[in-house]
Amino acid sequence: MSDARIDGYARALFEIAAAEGTLDEVEDELFRFARSFESNDQLRNTLTDELIPADKRQAVVESLLGGKATATTTQLVGMVVGSGRGRDLPAIIDKLVQRASSAKQLEVAEVRSAVALSADQQARLKAALTNATGKQLNVKVIVDPSVLGGLVATVGDTVIDGSVRTRLDNVKSRL
Amino acid sequence: MKYFSLLAVDPAESPHWLFPEPAEIIYGGIASVLVIGALVKFALPQFKKALTARTERIQKELDASANDLALAQADASKIRTALGDIASEKARLLADAQAQADALLKEGRARLTAEVADLEAKADADIAAAAARGSDELRTEIGRLAGVATDRALASVLDDAAQQQLIENFIAKVGASR
Repeated sequence: MSDARIDGYARALFEIAAAEGTLDEVEDELFRFARSFESNDQLRNTLTDELIPADKRQAVVESLLGGKATATTTQLVGMVVGSGRGRDLPAIIDKLVQRASSAKQLEVAEVRSAVALSADQQARLKAALTNATGKQLNVKVIVDPSVLGGLVATVGDTVIDGSVRTRLDNVKSRL
Repeated sequence: MKYFSLLAVDPAESPHWLFPEPAEIIYGGIASVLVIGALVKFALPQFKKALTARTERIQKELDASANDLALAQADASKIRTALGDIASEKARLLADAQAQADALLKEGRARLTAEVADLEAKADADIAAAAARGSDELRTEIGRLAGVATDRALASVLDDAAQQQLIENFIAKVGASR
């Protein structure tokens, strides 16, 4: 899909979420859904399979997100998947997150952790990253078991890696 | 008797039935001389000329025959020479063919030997590569299994307290980094 079209979808989702007054929540849910979509082959194959009718794909989205995410998030994901743009869902959502962060004069900080972070930890992490990068950040935490332990923070082109996975890989390569 | 009487000369009868009159003899002799002279004068040269021409023609024919004979002998000699040449050419061609066949055979044997050597070398290299690949694959698989085992061991060691400690350490380290 062209950048213009991805941008168009992202702008539409942004406007809808903003109009609904749930931008922060929707943005966060969409971001987490996009990461799950990227890491789960079965989910990605199902939602991008053109042979599966659009209503069936939307039903899958409904069964996955229904009751766990806001109705707006579920409807927005269902709309993108139903229109046959499931393959571009992560790119559309990333654009949406960037747009939302830009609207708030923030930069997106993607943090991967093996376990979920508490609200207090997220707040302190945000403060620490803001202090380290000198930027106002919109922190997005992704639970990624492949990290094993510790955290990996990505702010723009800067990667701060304190994960057990990377240390283990370093040890392996040294061995 | 009658025949003898015919030879008898009757002096009363003149001229004699056998011998002409003297005048006739003279006229006849002169006429004969004239005729013979004319013959000698006119016919003899023609006769000699015809005879000479015939002789020359015969000589020419003899010369032509001799010439033809010489040519035929020369041709026969050439043919005999050519036959000899053909025989020697045949022998030379056979010798060349034999030499070429020997060279081809030798070359073919050499090429086959080289190809067999190449194939053996390639087979050795393939076997060595396969062995190395197998060894590499085994090493990779061992590494992968060791990695999985390490991950599992770490996952069992990294309990919630350890995870929280790692997160806190990261926050503290990043917070103090500026």
